[in-house]
Amino acid sequence: MSSSTKALYARIGRRETHSSRSMLAIVLAIILIVVFAWVGTEVVIALLGLPALLVAPSDMFASAVGLAEQPAALVSIAGIVAAVIGLVLIVLSLSPGRRARHLIDTERAVTVVDNEVIASALARHASYAGNVDPDNATVSVSHRLGVVDLTPTSGIPADRDAVTRAVSDQLDSYGLRPTVRARVRIAEKGKVGA
Amino acid sequence: MTSTNRFANRLLVFVCGLVLLVVGGAAAAAMLVPGIREVWKDTGAQVTDQVDSALEQTRLVGLEVSWILIAVVALLVIAIVVLIVFIARHGHGHTSRAVTDSSGEHGTTIVESSVAEQALQDALDDHSEFVASHVSTYAVRRTPVLKVSVTCRRGVSPKDAAAIVESKLLALDGLLGRELPALIQVSGGFRARVGKTTRLQ
Repeated sequence: MSSSTKALYARIGRRETHSSRSMLAIVLAIILIVVFAWVGTEVVIALLGLPALLVAPSDMFASAVGLAEQPAALVSIAGIVAAVIGLVLIVLSLSPGRRARHLIDTERAVTVVDNEVIASALARHASYAGNVDPDNATVSVSHRLGVVDLTPTSGIPADRDAVTRAVSDQLDSYGLRPTVRARVRIAEKGKVGA
Repeated sequence: MTSTNRFANRLLVFVCGLVLLVVGGAAAAAMLVPGIREVWKDTGAQVTDQVDSALEQTRLVGLEVSWILIAVVALLVIAIVVLIVFIARHGHGHTSRAVTDSSGEHGTTIVESSVAEQALQDALDDHSEFVASHVSTYAVRRTPVLKVSVTCRRGVSPKDAAAIVESKLLALDGLLGRELPALIQVSGGFRARVGKTTRLQ
């Protein structure tokens, strides 16, 4: 594989496993457009000497400057809420925004797999290895950890080591990036007729 | 795969967050800290005087309005246009050309991306491992890249799914005589959850 293709694949892999923050940015842009359009309309209306739609620009300015005369509780609560929303937005803009996906080592292409697919494949192998019904195996896969929950059928013990081995073998064979560790939990109480 | 400018997205979110944090924090501080409250009151009166005199001095002859207000409206309109362009630039990047080869003496060879897309789509439709599949082509840094997204049935190993798609891609390479870069996206989703479990190992 040439180096340019490698760089291309690295870029695609990174972009596919991280959020673009498009939704948030578009929502913010729409809010800004509405606010700007409203303020602009109010200014034009004031320039024409017509009555304001909601608030005249001179009143907006006066209340912003004279903030200290407004009721303290209301303004401070609104200010704190705005500051917290601002802080959340800053954190969202700087955090990596990982999506629930993993890369798989393949030769011909970049491959991204939803964690859900990995979990469903692990659930199938875990239920065979643990000798339980597929519906009684629950798997959740996160960035670095796959948690397998098995509820054995009453009277038929599930072999924890066998399940762990089967699940770990599967995870190794997928070649996930980053690698995922398996943790198997077997419920103490079985289910009748499961 | 799209050409969305992610840095611009994050920049917009960051700037909005910073403005909210500063404005909200300042308002809360002005209310809760007595010292800042006094300073705010004093400077508030000064600012009002200055703005009034500025608006008075910049009054346009004949119109009786300040040009500062007209400039504010113009800036708002420009900002709105920029934001609309920003929104409209999301999600682009599809291309209809898979191969453009001008190495021959007698002209240029162009292979439309629908050739590759339909060949792959046909090959993948026969496989019972997949509930659905979709092939599209994007230009990533001017290079056409195939995007093969498949929705697996419950329990299909992602490695097997990727191997099936890769074998189809290799067959396509043989057909086209060159390798097109490709992305394989293996997903689950609602249709996979309610669909039948696969019988394949």
